[in-house]
Parts: sequence; structure tokens; C-alpha cells
Amino acid sequence: MRGLRLLPALAATAAVAAAVAALAALAPGSPLVPSCDAAGSHRAALVAQHGDGSVVTRCVAFDAASITGEALLDSSGVAWSGQTFGGFGIAVCALDAEPAHYSTCPGKESYWAVFVSRGGGAWQLANVGISSLTLADGDAEGLRYVPAAGLPAPPPTPARVCDSAGASAGASAGASAGASPRASGAAGSTAAATAGAGATPGGGGTAGATDSLALAASGATAAAPAEGAGAADASSRAGAASGSPGPTPGFDPGLVAAAVVGGGLAGLALLRLAAARRRVA
Amino acid sequence: MSIAPRAWLVWSLAAVTVAVSTNNPVYRGLVALAALNVLLAWLPAGRRVRPLVLVLAVAAGLAALVNVLAGHTGADVFARLPADWPLVGGALTLESLAFGGAVGLGLLAALLAVAPLSLILEPHDVVDAMPAPLERTGIAVATSLNLVSGFGRTFTAVSDAQRMRGWRPRGLRSWNEVLVPVVLTAIEDSVLLAEAMEARGFGAGRRTSLADRTWSRLDVAVMGTALAAVALFVGLRLAGAEIDWYPYPTLYLPSINPALIVGCLGLALPGLAAPMRSR
Repeated sequence: MRGLRLLPALAATAAVAAAVAALAALAPGSPLVPSCDAAGSHRAALVAQHGDGSVVTRCVAFDAASITGEALLDSSGVAWSGQTFGGFGIAVCALDAEPAHYSTCPGKESYWAVFVSRGGGAWQLANVGISSLTLADGDAEGLRYVPAAGLPAPPPTPARVCDSAGASAGASAGASAGASPRASGAAGSTAAATAGAGATPGGGGTAGATDSLALAASGATAAAPAEGAGAADASSRAGAASGSPGPTPGFDPGLVAAAVVGGGLAGLALLRLAAARRRVA
Repeated sequence: MSIAPRAWLVWSLAAVTVAVSTNNPVYRGLVALAALNVLLAWLPAGRRVRPLVLVLAVAAGLAALVNVLAGHTGADVFARLPADWPLVGGALTLESLAFGGAVGLGLLAALLAVAPLSLILEPHDVVDAMPAPLERTGIAVATSLNLVSGFGRTFTAVSDAQRMRGWRPRGLRSWNEVLVPVVLTAIEDSVLLAEAMEARGFGAGRRTSLADRTWSRLDVAVMGTALAAVALFVGLRLAGAEIDWYPYPTLYLPSINPALIVGCLGLALPGLAAPMRSR
């Protein structure tokens, strides 16, 4: 009977937790689909650094409000192949002929780490696949071929990637809209964007890639100076280490609600176990 | 106070669906806790949940261990095994440990979710709870699973009997003297089972029962909340919400959608509704 008296208290706890959760669901930060009502010419940068330090950069212009990391790679003209991992999205297995062949993805020794820079900020590690990564105007997608173990170092800063491409962005709009981005390297690529870098699973360009995306004739630069890259690495690594790459830090109502509900359920389980022991005794 | 077998079946399927539809350890942990509460609240006298939980905990731990040893990706290295050791050689990372833990938690949650079907319900209740088109399939599956344990019992009995006659294992060929009688006995048992089922009217039509069970409010509430939980998880996934968690390449806290916490809480309804048995 004592246990019966505890039930209303537990039920009240659960009700409060449910109310907190329901309120928290209304708070900003819930997953939302970005609206596409804003039209205009936007740009996002791509910076890919090979294992030997050479760097490939592209600037991609697009009209939609945002673009996925996958669409940006497709539109960049850099040859790549990937593999889908459930809800994670697509992981980059090979890019610009590195590795030339692979049997496992991601590779056991090295893999393509994905970074994102928002509005010209420092690189942050992306904890989702490139198909789940969304980029807006001024953002950048970074990839670097890094050893499997250890904190991945970010690629060089994307600061000037889209500056030099501004004049030609509109001129080439539409010219590459129908191109098959994973099959061949784009004109202007100086970093050996070899066709057929491994298999090309999945189905090519998205609707956005054919209609609203346009490949800008970028100022592609290969083999960036090691010194410059190193300086950029140092500053970016500090940013990546200090900021959480996943959700934004601070009060997370979801985690609080989970803790309340989990604590309540664990407490109730302990109460029931204690009651069962008393019955046995 | 009881819950209809069909409501249990729906609840179990819903909890399993939620547990496998995400690899977020928070949701999986909540489903496991909800299922544990349900088991503790409704377990019939004389049945124990502790052995099951221990076995599942060991299985979940092994799943985490395998992931740590086999996956060498991640930023936070806490140990290294010699690189020339096959498969396990290389860096051991916190990220692999965390992901392995999430995998193990999923295993734990899914198996705890189906445990009521064997620990709370009787086998005939499970068969009756299945939709009519699946009734015979359910019986066939249940019978097949029953034969597995029967095969094990026969093997033990035959090998004991052969040892008492002086038989000792000497190479592969000597096992013929055990395996042949075991197979013959299994075939005999199967024929006997088939005859017994036919004698009891198997295949003649749907099983009938003397008492028609009426649906209580609790039955409806259990089914409703379970289906709502599944709808929440599936709906949000289809809407593109981030409900999964991948700790690579650096460890971070999983992001939680409060609506899904409410869904997990709904799965705990059978446990919350049951009175506390104090005697």
C-alpha cells in the first residue's frame, strides 16, 4: 500500500516532465526544414586538402536558399564517390582520385574528414554526412584526407575562395547544370580531378543541381604552400577544439527532459525491485 | 487488472520499432527503461527477470567491446594495441566505445521489448494475438523455435547415454554415434508433434475461446500510445529531423528532440499504470 501511495507522486513527476518536454518542443532549435522562398545568387566554397598537402578549391553559385554538401560537391566538378550510412548520410570515400582504389569506406588508415565553416567562421567538424549537411550563402564545405586515429586537422581557410570567382560566377551559370559531377573533373581543375575515382554509387545530381545550381568557374588552386596551410590549420584547429562540432552548446531542453524521464523510470524500476524483494522475504 | 494479448503484441512491436529506428543512445536507453518497468510491473509470480537482464547486459557489453576493438576511428585515443595484431590492432578510441555502447543499448532495448511476449504472456495468448493471416506462420515459427531447445535436450540426453555405454569422443568420426541418434530422434519428435497438432485440430480454422475478451480503456491506451510513439519516430525521420547519433570523428552529446522523449514516455504507460505490488 505504501507503494500505491507513491504512484501519484511518480505520475505527477512524469506529467511535469511531459509538460516540460511539450514546451521544449516548441522552443527554437527543433529540426526545421529550411524555407526556400528566398531567391538569388548565393555562393558556397569548397576546400579539399589531399593527404600530401595539395589543395583543391571551388566556388559554387546557387539560387536556392541553401545547398547540401553533396550538391555542392556534385556542382563543383571534382570527381568523388561516396557511400550512404543510414541516417548519417553519405560519407566521402574517394575524392579527386584519393584514394585511387578502396575496399572499405571509410578507410581504415585514412579517410575524408568533413568540415563546415559558417559565414566565414572557423572550421567545425561535421558529425553528419555530406548529404545531411546544409550550406547557406557564405558558408564553406571543407574536406581533408586525414589519418583514421586522432583529431582530424581542418583544411586551409576558405576565406578567399569565392572572392576571385565573383566575376565568373554568373557567366557560367547553367553551363554545367547538366554535367555529371561524379564522373569527371571540371574544366579549370588543376588538381587532377580524375574521372572514376572508385565506384560512383548513388544517383548523381539532385533537382537543385540541375535547375538552380550553377558551377562557378572558380579560381582553383592546387598545392597550396605548406606554410600558409599550416598557419591556417593552427588557427582553425583551435576553433574546432573549442567548439562542439555537434549541437550548439548551452541549455538543451531535450537533454533535460530525457534526464527527468530517464531518472523517473529508473527510480520506479528500483521501487518495483525493492517491492519484489519484500514480497520474496 | 490485465492487458489484452493483442495490446501486448502491439506494444512490443512498437517498442522494437522505436529501438531499431534510431541509434541515439538516449532514446534507446529510455525504451530499455520503459520495457524494464513493464516487465517488473507485470511479471507473473514465479518468473524472474534478473537472469534475462544479466544475459542481455553481457551481450550489450560484448557488442560494445567488439566495436572498440574492431573500429579504430575517432579523435580521442585512450589506448593502442600492437598494429600487427589482426583486426584488433591499432588505436582504441572513445568514439568507438560510445558507438559500441549505443549498439549494445539498442540490442538491450529491443530484446527487453519482446521479452513480455514470452515472460508475461502464455504461448497460446501470443498465437491468439496475431492477426488471422499470420496465425499459422506464428505457430510454425513458435514450433520451430521450440524444436531448437528440444534438439539441445536430445543431444545432451543421447551423449550422456552413449558415455554411460563407454563411448568417448575420439575424432570427428566418433561423433557419428551421437549425431545419428540425435537426428533420428529429432525427426521422430517432429512427426509426433505434427500428429499431436493435427489431433488438436491444427489447420481446421482459427482457434476459438470460451470467453470473449472486451477491450478495456487500458488496452486502448496502451495500443494508442505505442502507435503514437512509432508515428512520432517514423514521421520525424521522414520529415528529415535528426534523430540519429554518430560520435565520429569526435565525441559529442546526442541532440534530443523533446517530442520523441514524450513518445518514449508513452511506451512506459503499461509500467506506470500497473499498481505497485507490495505483498
